[in-house]
Amino acid sequence: MLPEIRANVTLDCKGLACPMPIVRTKKAIDQLKAGHVIEVQATDKGSLADMQGWAKNTGHHYLGTVEEGNLLKHYIRKSKLSETKEEKQHPYTICHEELATKMTGEGKITLIDVREPAEYAFNRIKGAISIPLGELEDRIKELNPDDEIFVICRTGSRSDLACQLLTEKGFKKVKNVETGMTGWTGPTEQDNSK
Amino acid sequence: MSTKVAIIASNGGLFDAYKVFNIATASAATDAEVAIFFTFEGLNLIHKQAHHSLPLPAGAEHFAEGFKKANIPSIPQLVEMAQELGVKIIACQMTMDVMNLKKEDFIDGIEVGGAVTFLDFAKDANVSLTF
Repeated sequence: MLPEIRANVTLDCKGLACPMPIVRTKKAIDQLKAGHVIEVQATDKGSLADMQGWAKNTGHHYLGTVEEGNLLKHYIRKSKLSETKEEKQHPYTICHEELATKMTGEGKITLIDVREPAEYAFNRIKGAISIPLGELEDRIKELNPDDEIFVICRTGSRSDLACQLLTEKGFKKVKNVETGMTGWTGPTEQDNSK
Repeated sequence: MSTKVAIIASNGGLFDAYKVFNIATASAATDAEVAIFFTFEGLNLIHKQAHHSLPLPAGAEHFAEGFKKANIPSIPQLVEMAQELGVKIIACQMTMDVMNLKKEDFIDGIEVGGAVTFLDFAKDANVSLTF
């Protein structure tokens, strides 16, 4: 079953004109915890391009937009400062090319996507299993410690933490996918959305 | 380092006000550092009374309805938002002297300064705009 797009907070900007959706989004995201997802509901058609530009300039992560009639639902994930700076610690990594080769090969591989459900819903590698980082410890029984497991997120930071956790729990063949979904040019899929 | 946006507001109509304050609030909400230098008729945009009833350009009066219909925030609301977001508002001392205006004639929270006050901010701005 595909996960629904889950947001931690919903912000109503319906009927508001530029620059109000952006101003409200900025205020709301200031109150949000890093890693949480906000759903911004807007009817301003310009907000589609504005949200993307805003996220690019503020460093937050624009996940995507769902259109329902005149209503635009924008999803943005609040980044944390450390996300781009954190040092990687898990020693075993795999690059995109190797991963793509593995996936078309004969052996069974397990690819875990540890991003939030909303991120997974908009764009993921086909066959990836969604286990958000926060749920990994509880759902670890779903995984076999002897399998070869690849872990992916958006940039390689959260997946690095996930790799460390799995190793701690006795998993032996865990590899972090370098740079995460960023720069992945292989096939992807998504839930129904714009 | 964050983006710096330097704006000069030198016209006093309603259209001018929206150009200035929309760009200013949008920039500030996008984590830019923003300063606006109000000079000559631009001073209307921050004048305590005048900024509540800025004129539409001659022949464009019928747009008043459009503003209402599109649910556009009022100029006083935008000014308040701009200040809340940390937009620096500088009134031009020289123009104030010419027009015989005091700091008290303007909205609260403004600075009064000369050309160099603005230039000091604008010298390393990434975006400079004049309205």
